[in-house]
Amino acid sequence: MNPSYLKVFLTFARNSLVRDMSFRFNFILTCFASVSWALMNFLLFKIIYQHTDSIGVDTGWHENEFFIFLGTIWIINSLIQTFFMANAEGFSEMIRTGSLDFALLKPIDTQFLISFPRINWAQIPNGLLGLSLVIYSLRALMNDSEKVISIGPVEWILYVFYIGCGVVVMYSVMIILASTSIWLGRNQNLHTFWFYITNFYRYPMEIYQKSGIGMALWGTFTFVIPILVVSNVPARILAQPLERGWYDWQSLYAIFAAAASLVVSRWVFKFALSSYRSASS
Amino acid sequence: MPVIEIKNLSKSYRVYQKREGVMASIKGLFHREYKEVHAVNDISLEVEEGEFVAFLGPNGAGKTTTLKLLSGVINPTSGTCSVLGHVPWERKNEYRRRFALVMGQKNQLWWDLPAAESFRLNQHIYGISAEEFNRTRDELTDMLDVTRLLSQPVRELSLGERMKMELIAALLHKPDVLFLDEPTIGLDVIAQHKIQQFLKHYQETQNNTILLTSHYMKDISALCKRVVIIAGGEIYHDGSLEEIVDRFSSHKIVTLQMANDRSLEGLQNLPNVISVEAPKIKFRVDREDVGQTLGEILGLHDVDDIVVEDPPLEDVIASAFSDAAEQQKSQQETIEASSP
Repeated sequence: MNPSYLKVFLTFARNSLVRDMSFRFNFILTCFASVSWALMNFLLFKIIYQHTDSIGVDTGWHENEFFIFLGTIWIINSLIQTFFMANAEGFSEMIRTGSLDFALLKPIDTQFLISFPRINWAQIPNGLLGLSLVIYSLRALMNDSEKVISIGPVEWILYVFYIGCGVVVMYSVMIILASTSIWLGRNQNLHTFWFYITNFYRYPMEIYQKSGIGMALWGTFTFVIPILVVSNVPARILAQPLERGWYDWQSLYAIFAAAASLVVSRWVFKFALSSYRSASS
Repeated sequence: MPVIEIKNLSKSYRVYQKREGVMASIKGLFHREYKEVHAVNDISLEVEEGEFVAFLGPNGAGKTTTLKLLSGVINPTSGTCSVLGHVPWERKNEYRRRFALVMGQKNQLWWDLPAAESFRLNQHIYGISAEEFNRTRDELTDMLDVTRLLSQPVRELSLGERMKMELIAALLHKPDVLFLDEPTIGLDVIAQHKIQQFLKHYQETQNNTILLTSHYMKDISALCKRVVIIAGGEIYHDGSLEEIVDRFSSHKIVTLQMANDRSLEGLQNLPNVISVEAPKIKFRVDREDVGQTLGEILGLHDVDDIVVEDPPLEDVIASAFSDAAEQQKSQQETIEASSP
């Protein structure tokens, strides 16, 4: 009689797909909007690389390396937006309207139940686009006779694993933000926060390491809200802008950061639930 | 052992006191005044297995808060409670598998999808085997006569149809305890009646324990033998429906069918006449005076038929509510007078 988490998840995925398909113009429009945002993003950096041939001096972030980084960000973003963005917002809304009541009644982990009900399939194309960009740039990089990089199955497995870590960290940040709605009564800043935060994780960390202010930002987004490290580690595994060996501590730290974020977010979530007052019926 | 055992349960909220006006709102940013609201105040109650109990009370009396405490949605400020041997707000899965809460004003079904999809989701959440799920679902949809609506998106259902689907969604896992918060609110008379009949039949066959809140006296008189009146967060009365009538209605309604219009003469001047439709007259008489009054009238007038009945339940309950409010007011005054 135990709940089947996999079956519940698959039902969520299926129901979301059926729902998305019944509003197909909305679905197409969402796909179109997110894909065009990605393409504009791509063009912007293409233009920037007409003026320079690397970001910073001796950082190794040349055009192809950087586009691997960018593709990785798109993949992480797409995963977050597909699986969690609508749900985190939905959670906020459930608190405000009191429909969280029903989630609390169900004999299944509440955090699981509020984390997955809506899967936004329209955000998937963005991730596929990201993957194409990664593969295309990687191929260009490997054909470049000046570069010596080695990509084998191990690198690909690590890449997938660290993208997973990235998703976990971003998810945790989002759940913590959404949980604050229980005390604030209303928190419609989720999207805005998300935008601000992702603004900082979208670049290789070397760009921060030049000045005091930059280092402060780097420290904040590495150790306090560890989003920078989880975007950088997977991209580096494939792009290898520098000699290997430099990212050992970061790779270990990324795993720790992912685990710690998850634990903290779970704690905040549970603590928030204990303060839940439910809305009037 | 009682299924539900509540001891000295209280829940109070701190509510922000917002004053009118922009200046007051700006002040409110820096300094806020709060008021303590006792939604539920020291309630004790026991419910045995198989009982169908009605919670009755004016809006804001604490009925819904009590149901939310019992279903573990919110934590109490003080007191203890056990349902089926579990503390509800620990939210153990063993407990959550055995009860259900239906709220007439809230919606737990997926709005854009057919109800069947929401049922399927509940099947997996409650871990119900396919065979048992199909059987229970078919039984329930058949009983409530909604089988043909299963594949229609919920947003396209009428309120009554949706409420039936909500009930089915809540009953798929065969809960032992059922909390119903105004399940018939906003429904037309026929839909109300159908849901009442269904609940009655369901409770009789399953012998589960049900707590119901409703503002419709029809619901209560059709379903519940025991009525708990809650007012101002406190239990004001706990007993059978008949006891309530005895306690809160001081009079009876007498209807006389006179032999002819002439026999009515003199009766129109009785105190407490409700209506006169010659040759019929209807009036209120104090309970203890019924015999004497009727004796006097029969001696002087020509009467064809007599009906003596209790006043409508709505009136009785209204007088119970106002009694409760009165009592609370006087209690408050005593407290205020005794404090320095």
